[in-house]
Amino acid sequence: MITGYGHFVQLAESLQWDETAIDLTADTEAWPKLEQEESDQVLGLLAGFCIGETSVATHLTSFHGAATTEDRMDQVLQAQARDEARHARFFDRVIREVVGVPGDTMTERVDALRDRVSPDLVELFEERLPAVAADVAEDSDNLTAAVGLYHMILEGVVLTAGQHALLETLKGLSVGMPGTHKGMELVLRDERWHIGFGSRVIQSADIVDDQMEELLTQGVKAASAWGDLISQDDIAKVEHLHQRRLRSVGIKFW
Amino acid sequence: MTVEQTEARPEAKRWLCEMCGFIYDPEEGDPDSGIPPGTPFEDIPDDWMCPICGAEKSDFRALEPGEFPEM
Repeated sequence: MITGYGHFVQLAESLQWDETAIDLTADTEAWPKLEQEESDQVLGLLAGFCIGETSVATHLTSFHGAATTEDRMDQVLQAQARDEARHARFFDRVIREVVGVPGDTMTERVDALRDRVSPDLVELFEERLPAVAADVAEDSDNLTAAVGLYHMILEGVVLTAGQHALLETLKGLSVGMPGTHKGMELVLRDERWHIGFGSRVIQSADIVDDQMEELLTQGVKAASAWGDLISQDDIAKVEHLHQRRLRSVGIKFW
Repeated sequence: MTVEQTEARPEAKRWLCEMCGFIYDPEEGDPDSGIPPGTPFEDIPDDWMCPICGAEKSDFRALEPGEFPEM
């Protein structure tokens, strides 16, 4: 059972943070001192977040108009869009100021990083998400399917796996990157309520059998979208959490 | 439900995950994690995690009776 939409509106207001207030000085000093393997791992994960957060910040706006039956739901979506834009700015700030990725705009910097991540991850965020966002913009009846992909798969599986992997990687570095770690923790905190909200939408929807099956199989497949950047153990953990989450919102598949 | 039945069965205390809004209801438990129905929140192992967001048990707080009536 998940609480009502009003809770998420209040929660979002209480969790605001400023990405420009995070001190990246130590991170900037640490970056050139990292081992090649360490910097490759961190940059691969950051690249995935830059691509993912930029895409979700862009396409979540299509969901707003679809939530016409529930004003509070629309308020939550607007609060979430504000979070996603902040996340995109935070990761862009890290790759610009700490890593020194070239490019005059966020788009150019994202373009410069695309080869760092697997084609599966790019496809999820840059092809499948825009497609479901377009479906929602065309017909609000597609909102549940869009939330299924966006909140349950992209956020609940792909980004969750990446967040935990990045936090673990940062924790084990030979030279610390405390600003990046702090920002990642704040992003993870935001994503928890986003996933709770998406779960609430799914819990309230009339999910038919083929949609249930799709949510399960898509989630299991998406857990591997980071390729070698995430361990098999972490993939198994996020798959397990995905299955628990679906059961908790009333989706029976066993 | 009669008045007598209501008085005989006080509402079980539910707990809210402050991170994601999940509500633990002792009457339902969390069978997927080995927590059978009827288990009070206090009796759940400390390493149990929220089934929605993976938050820790310490991220939950007790709900007051009637709190979040819009569910």
